[in-house]
Amino acid sequence: MENESYVKHNCDHYKDSRYDDLNHRKYGDKEVDVCIVGVGAAGGVLAYELSKAGLDVVGIEAGPFWDPQVDFASDELHAYRLNWQDTRLSDGNDALKFGPNNSGRGVGGGTTHFTGVFYRFHKSDFRTKSTDGVGEDWPITYEDLEPYYTKIENDIKVSGPKQFPWGPFNGPYPYPEREPISAWAQVFREGCEVLGIRSSVPPLAILSAPFDGRPPCTNRGFCNEGCKPNAKFSTLIHHVPKAIKYGAEIITDSMVTRILVDQDGKAQGVEFNHDGSYYLQKAKVVIVSAFAVETPRLLLNSACSQYPDGLANNSGLVGKYLMTHSGHDIFAKFDEEMRLYKGTPVMACTQDFYETDPDNDFLRGYTLNAHGDRPVALSKILTADAGYWGKDLREKMLDFNFYSQITMVGEVLPQKDNCVTLSDQKDEYGLPRPKVIFNYCENDNKMIEHGVEKANQIFKARGGKPTFVAADTGHLMGGCRMGDDPDNSVVNGYCQSHDISNLFVCDASVFTTSGGCNPTNTVLAIAARTADYIIQMGKKGEF
Amino acid sequence: MEKGKTYYPDFDVLDSVKEWDPVTADVVLKRLGPFPPLKFLTDEEESKLRVICKHLMYDNRDEIFDWVIHSIDARLNDKTGEYQRSSKAPPEHILVREGLKAINDLSRKLYDTDFLSIGVQEQFDIIASLQVGEAAQIPQWSQIPQKDLFDKLLILTVAPYYSHPTIWSEIGYGGPAHPRGYYRLEIGLADPWEAVRKREGNKGDDDGGE
Ligand SMILES: Cc1cc2nc3c(=O)[nH]c(=O)nc-3n(C[C@H](O)[C@H](O)[C@H](O)COP(=O)(O)OP(=O)(O)OC[C@H]3O[C@@H](n4cnc5c(N)ncnc54)[C@H](O)[C@@H]3O)c2cc1C
Ligand code: SF4
Repeated sequence: MENESYVKHNCDHYKDSRYDDLNHRKYGDKEVDVCIVGVGAAGGVLAYELSKAGLDVVGIEAGPFWDPQVDFASDELHAYRLNWQDTRLSDGNDALKFGPNNSGRGVGGGTTHFTGVFYRFHKSDFRTKSTDGVGEDWPITYEDLEPYYTKIENDIKVSGPKQFPWGPFNGPYPYPEREPISAWAQVFREGCEVLGIRSSVPPLAILSAPFDGRPPCTNRGFCNEGCKPNAKFSTLIHHVPKAIKYGAEIITDSMVTRILVDQDGKAQGVEFNHDGSYYLQKAKVVIVSAFAVETPRLLLNSACSQYPDGLANNSGLVGKYLMTHSGHDIFAKFDEEMRLYKGTPVMACTQDFYETDPDNDFLRGYTLNAHGDRPVALSKILTADAGYWGKDLREKMLDFNFYSQITMVGEVLPQKDNCVTLSDQKDEYGLPRPKVIFNYCENDNKMIEHGVEKANQIFKARGGKPTFVAADTGHLMGGCRMGDDPDNSVVNGYCQSHDISNLFVCDASVFTTSGGCNPTNTVLAIAARTADYIIQMGKKGEF
Repeated sequence: MEKGKTYYPDFDVLDSVKEWDPVTADVVLKRLGPFPPLKFLTDEEESKLRVICKHLMYDNRDEIFDWVIHSIDARLNDKTGEYQRSSKAPPEHILVREGLKAINDLSRKLYDTDFLSIGVQEQFDIIASLQVGEAAQIPQWSQIPQKDLFDKLLILTVAPYYSHPTIWSEIGYGGPAHPRGYYRLEIGLADPWEAVRKREGNKGDDDGGE
């Protein structure tokens, strides 16, 4: 039976085209061209581009194949299932929070519950060592990624301003900006105006007009809970159904537990667990796209006699240089109702503090996003991040409708000691749980201080009363960084392991530095570029 | 907390429930009960936890805490995972179970009687001391880090509490709004079904800090 749903017609789970068991595998014991571990942001783009080029592709995803109409509710608590729930051990002075804070699970990965803010990195982001003497230079430049940013933005019809003031790309975007903006974003822009700070609406991976059978956004604000109307882009509703149409097989509810290597030390496929049983998928090329904690964890857990320290780890850097963004949330109270719950969660921004400024006592910079919120997220910020409870909490929450929020996205410098390692505690597969250690450095902390101060100035300029600040983080990057020097990086500029030529790592873990803005446009652009490279390898008979 | 403190005494978010998609409506209406029997918590644990949850949320209404307790019980019974924990803390179901015992032992040490029998202020003081990790010494704290316990109890409570439609109505939250959506977003505008402020003035102007 044909599924008539516009986003699901190639991925019906149960009627002739897909099954919820493993008795109908498309390739079975056969060796395929490419096996992708994790069908999230990068994995979705890779599956699409590679299958479109005619390669035999299998994507294996730990979580479910979501059906937005059945599995998503417009409810914060219900949406916890979209997160990577498995327990990670988290230590350090600034121990990270996972789950809803940064990690997705199921087809679409983080894109099913991301906010859709879709910036490009600036040129300087790829050259922090040469220009600022901190971090590390990437092996690629902005110019290398530029055509891929353009392609991705066009493929998914990013909505954005006609003129974006910062960075190398100033618009116009493929689709017009979303409008109108909410009260809480309006006061942000007005405050910026008073202070002479430039502000803009952000580029969003959210439709402002119909596209591909999907409707424009209805402003209900549940982007982090999975967009039920399908107005927000995710690889679940865009790339994956198209990849299936081109012949890719997506195996779900299957946790890859090990990457297998042959006697010559080449990758030969993966082992995965579905419902308690183990299966193999053989492949000529293996791409790990399991995100910044699970990717290094899987490479380390795949240690074998040829590679006792884990795969792709001759440099010893697998799991090192993990980064986040400082994501402090700053709140002010206004006399007028702001109603944080309305509109897409980010509707205005400034990048006036993005580049290094010699007047500052720190290097590099940040983005400020005017940010919406719903009751559970706000109460969690107030409790877990800011320490309120009891009467204080109750009273602060009664003022819910009067707050405006600014969220910082600050560049965090790469430090070797911020890392993913294996602990001595085991998960349900008997695999060591990841242990993550994170501490901010002095530069990070000075930048946070500056960002919080600026946000409060913006609020005050518009008559807002600074009320509370919560320490928070957003996004994960690094852990398998790219570079030209095999001793100082895990993969090359095409995401290919320096050590094992048919093993790729392609997701947010390859970031060399974090940049000072939301990263996913860059994740997808890197994935599209890697796909091109693998297609060329195939044409040259290199696998 | 009496209803008088809300800006929106007339607003009931559930008046819009027929506008919500059926999946969402079902999820939200289940929070009004009735609830199946508890699976993880014993009766004794439940009564201690209920008192602690009430202190943490500064609210006394049992019908709301019936749901909160049900939600915590379901979470502790489900071993899928807790996103993260410090490597010094035990898994959450052990942290909560042993933590409740430790809180009772602390009460006995300080006041010679069970946690449920001491006064409200004493109960409050015990909870407050956990947040800063300065509760009086008992051997259990070496296995049950106080701050981890406090943070876990708070986070387990706050998410279901602020998912209850009665609380949404009180804070003037307009609710799920799918498929209807929101269209009047700008300052001073509201969609016709949204909460209308009845109490004037921006209350609590004394509580802002910079
Ligand atoms: C609440 C929230 C809001 C966000 N908002 C924004 C935003 O506005 N803008 C922005 O740019 N970014 C945003 N992000 C970040 C964005 O989600 C990530 O940058 C992006 O998803 C990373 O892509 P990835 O391909 O590296 O990993 P993911 O998209 O996380 O994909 C990894 C996939 O691998 C699967 N997996 C993991 N391990 C295994 C295994 N062993 N076997 C099989 N499968 C496995 C996972 O289930 C997952 O589906 C947000 C994130 C969150 C959580
Ligand atoms: S705000 Fe718009 S994009 Fe976000 S979930 Fe709602 S309809 Fe989708």
